[in-house]
Amino acid sequence: MLLLRLAGLALTLVVALLFAVFVGDQGPWYFAWVIGTVMIILVSGAGAVLFDAQMDSSQDREV
Amino acid sequence: MDLINPTVVDLSRFQFALTALYHFMFVPLTLGLTFMLAAMETVYVVTGRKVYKDMAQFWGKLFGINFAIGVATGITMEFEFGTNWSMYSRFFGDMFGTPLAIEGLMAFFMESTFVGLMFFGWDRLSKPAHLAITYLVALGSNLSALWILVANASMNVPEGAHFDPDTMRMQFDSFVSVVFNPDAQSKFVHTSVAGYVSAALFVMGISAFYILRGQHKEFAARSFRMAALFGIISTVAVITLGDVLGRMDYEKQPTKIAAIEGLWHTSKPPYEPWILAALPDDAKQENHFEIGVPFVLTPLITHEFNTPITGLHELQDAAGPRIRSGIEAVSALRRYGETHQQSDLDIFHAHEGDMGFGFLATRHAPNQDVTAIPATALDQVVEETKPDILPNVFVTFWAFRLMVFLALYFFALFAISAYLSLKNKLERNKLLLRLCMWSIPLPILATEFGWITAEAGRQPWTVFNKLPTFMSASTHSTSYMLFSLAGFTVLYSIFIAAELYLMFKFARLGPEEHGSAHGNAEPAYLHATQPAPAAE
Amino acid sequence: MELYAILKLVWAAILCILLIGLGLMVGMDMGVGTLLRFVGRNDGERRTALNIIGPHWDGNQVWFILGGGSIFAAFPTLYATSFSVFYVVMILLLFSMILRPVAFEYRSKADSTLWRASWDWVFLVSGFLPMFIYGAAFGNILEGVGYHFGWNGQYYQDSSFFSYLLSPFVILCGLMSVALSVYQGGVMLMLRSENPLYDRAQRYAVRGGLVAAVLFAIGGVFISQQKGFVLIGDVNPAMPANPLHGQHVLHTAGAWLHNFTQHPILWLVPALGLFCMVAGACAAYFGKSVAAWWIGLGSWVGTIGTVAAAMFPFFMPSTTAPDQSLTIWNSSASAYGLSCMLVVALIFVPIILSYTSWCYYVMRGKVRTADIIHDSHSY
Repeated sequence: MLLLRLAGLALTLVVALLFAVFVGDQGPWYFAWVIGTVMIILVSGAGAVLFDAQMDSSQDREV
Repeated sequence: MDLINPTVVDLSRFQFALTALYHFMFVPLTLGLTFMLAAMETVYVVTGRKVYKDMAQFWGKLFGINFAIGVATGITMEFEFGTNWSMYSRFFGDMFGTPLAIEGLMAFFMESTFVGLMFFGWDRLSKPAHLAITYLVALGSNLSALWILVANASMNVPEGAHFDPDTMRMQFDSFVSVVFNPDAQSKFVHTSVAGYVSAALFVMGISAFYILRGQHKEFAARSFRMAALFGIISTVAVITLGDVLGRMDYEKQPTKIAAIEGLWHTSKPPYEPWILAALPDDAKQENHFEIGVPFVLTPLITHEFNTPITGLHELQDAAGPRIRSGIEAVSALRRYGETHQQSDLDIFHAHEGDMGFGFLATRHAPNQDVTAIPATALDQVVEETKPDILPNVFVTFWAFRLMVFLALYFFALFAISAYLSLKNKLERNKLLLRLCMWSIPLPILATEFGWITAEAGRQPWTVFNKLPTFMSASTHSTSYMLFSLAGFTVLYSIFIAAELYLMFKFARLGPEEHGSAHGNAEPAYLHATQPAPAAE
Repeated sequence: MELYAILKLVWAAILCILLIGLGLMVGMDMGVGTLLRFVGRNDGERRTALNIIGPHWDGNQVWFILGGGSIFAAFPTLYATSFSVFYVVMILLLFSMILRPVAFEYRSKADSTLWRASWDWVFLVSGFLPMFIYGAAFGNILEGVGYHFGWNGQYYQDSSFFSYLLSPFVILCGLMSVALSVYQGGVMLMLRSENPLYDRAQRYAVRGGLVAAVLFAIGGVFISQQKGFVLIGDVNPAMPANPLHGQHVLHTAGAWLHNFTQHPILWLVPALGLFCMVAGACAAYFGKSVAAWWIGLGSWVGTIGTVAAAMFPFFMPSTTAPDQSLTIWNSSASAYGLSCMLVVALIFVPIILSYTSWCYYVMRGKVRTADIIHDSHSY
């Protein structure tokens, strides 16, 4: 079971890598879009988590 | 003799512009909101805080109101190529139809199927499964945009197809060069990310409204924070890609870039100013006044300091020989189509590259037949055709400028908003909040200006340098066109009224009344035998 | 046979499947729309009916988009010509198709009675009209359409749209298509509703099936006596796709029976259609709604299959320039385009089928009025 999971993970990684290499080569902007969108989501999610942390630690609760 | 009626062509253009711009009032929100919903739901799944589920559900509801019209009005576009642009569809459909069909197969199906699950599946799916569905909806809607922009890019920079005299149309010959057309790449990212900006400002503006009123504070502050960060990065990306597109036009569509910059005469680097404002006069072919910033234009467009940019007058003069050669090509093509003589085919191949310019002369040829221009009238026809190669400079110039000015404004707005949100100082900056609220429609406006720039700047062609717009339309009667235009006007007015009514209604109601508080108390849509909803 | 000809044939077959899928799936939703005001006597019942197709109508509508997209990609000349020749009805079809998504999404989002009643009418019109036009279009192409092409491939129309609408056969085809959609919509309501919705839906499903069978039989007899089209002489199926050259066509009475007399086994196709319509009505009558749903598929296969069997290889024959009639051979995309699309379809169709059925699986079970009213997400 564990082996199967590892194999699955490895396969995903290989596919992702091949995708990155091919798209990065043929379509740099498509590649930039994929990376950029992931980054935008992560940054905005991180902002929300930071907000929770700020609220938990502060007293006045001003937003 | 079947003549092309210019009124019908103009009405077809007007109808397409109207329906396309209307469609694109709804698309940007779909492109961006789906990814924002995904971001909110991701935070919900990771932290388990219920407020993020409320966010995903509330903004999801507004998304749904918008999505319905986006889908509905998109169908119009797919019909109109056939109903109003039959010559275009026949001439270019072999290649152009492919991305449209793939859009249906790959993206539209995915988006439409999963959007049902996204709305109805909250209690039927595990948290990660529902999150995956939300991502698939977001991916689907953006892939949909991808294929549409691939199709659109092929009109602007036709690659991956060649003209075949035996079928009298462009034959598709390279899938890879169509998909990886550099114009398609940068257009897709530019448009998709413009959607992110629209969605971010939409969420930010409505959240600002709640904060101003002191309602749903926790909910609104989190939404505002996420939207501000989402928006600032997206705005930077939109501006970057806009620059890339400008360079693309400089290389592939010189008439478009010259019209965008209001450049009547070839530029004199490095001094050439970037015009901030001017009054281009298409009839006199000059600008009435100009305010510009010197030394900016050349590096802005060419990314170099000493490369001149060809002006509209020079482009027009250079078109003369091509029109002459194009008339040869079209005449040979017609003879070949009727008798299939090898000698005619040879003549055609010698002038093949200019065929589109020959078609362009149709309008000025006697009886709209370029094959029957008498030698004595040839010079006159060429002279009359020459100014036709230029797009409408006034429209292109101003649509571009308004888009750019708006983008710079968004940059400032998002930057300040993100800063104040991170510092938790929003509540005391009432002016900014009000500004955010009133700015909600502006990104959509900017997107529309972007489309006007791109498509008005492509004129007089539907397929750049290959097929003129004048020849592309269906041969309808004016009454048909008036019938459909009237119908669209009535329907679309009802739609926008209904949409705005519902948007305002639900935005005013806010999350509590229509968020998950309601849905959780009464596990709706749940059959008694279904497993219990995932525990909060 | 040359590869190009095979590709053309494959795409014609795919187009057939899409038209069947469109009739079945979109027809089902349209049928529910048409029936809405008749099976639902109050707001709760109507909302229940809408929510039965609620999670799926959007996906089903894509069949329609896909049908249009595939004609565009695989048979661009057919797409360009037919959509323009049928301009007025196409625009009416388009109006109904864009009203429906909005009606679904907006109807139950405001409480006013007038608001909801208006959208219920929209459902009736936008369910009835598209199915009528869908059927009528088949009637039109069977009778032939007036158009010809100029030297550069531009089409020119030779008769007005009134002449397309005001033909008894065309109206009959339209009504038959509506009857099939009412049948399928009724069966879908039976599958996922309880009384009183169930009983009413059952009545309409039975009637829909029987009416369709009667109209199908009458239409078949009628058209076999009318003028049809037949290709004469040698035709190269792999010819360059250009309607201006390479075909000779005869416009003559009884020609639509030509394929049937050549290959009598084809008679099985209309027989299947007729059988399924009657059998489906019986199945619905005895409450076997699952069986009735699948038999509905048979009715559509039989109907579209019959038209295809009679017309092959014609798509849209021309009455004024029969030699320029659009056929599978002269209206297709290039070999490269067709193969490209084939690869894409082979990859994505299995994926689509698997996630669509998964979606039905997740949303399975009866839909109850009480649940609908309390759910803020329902239609």
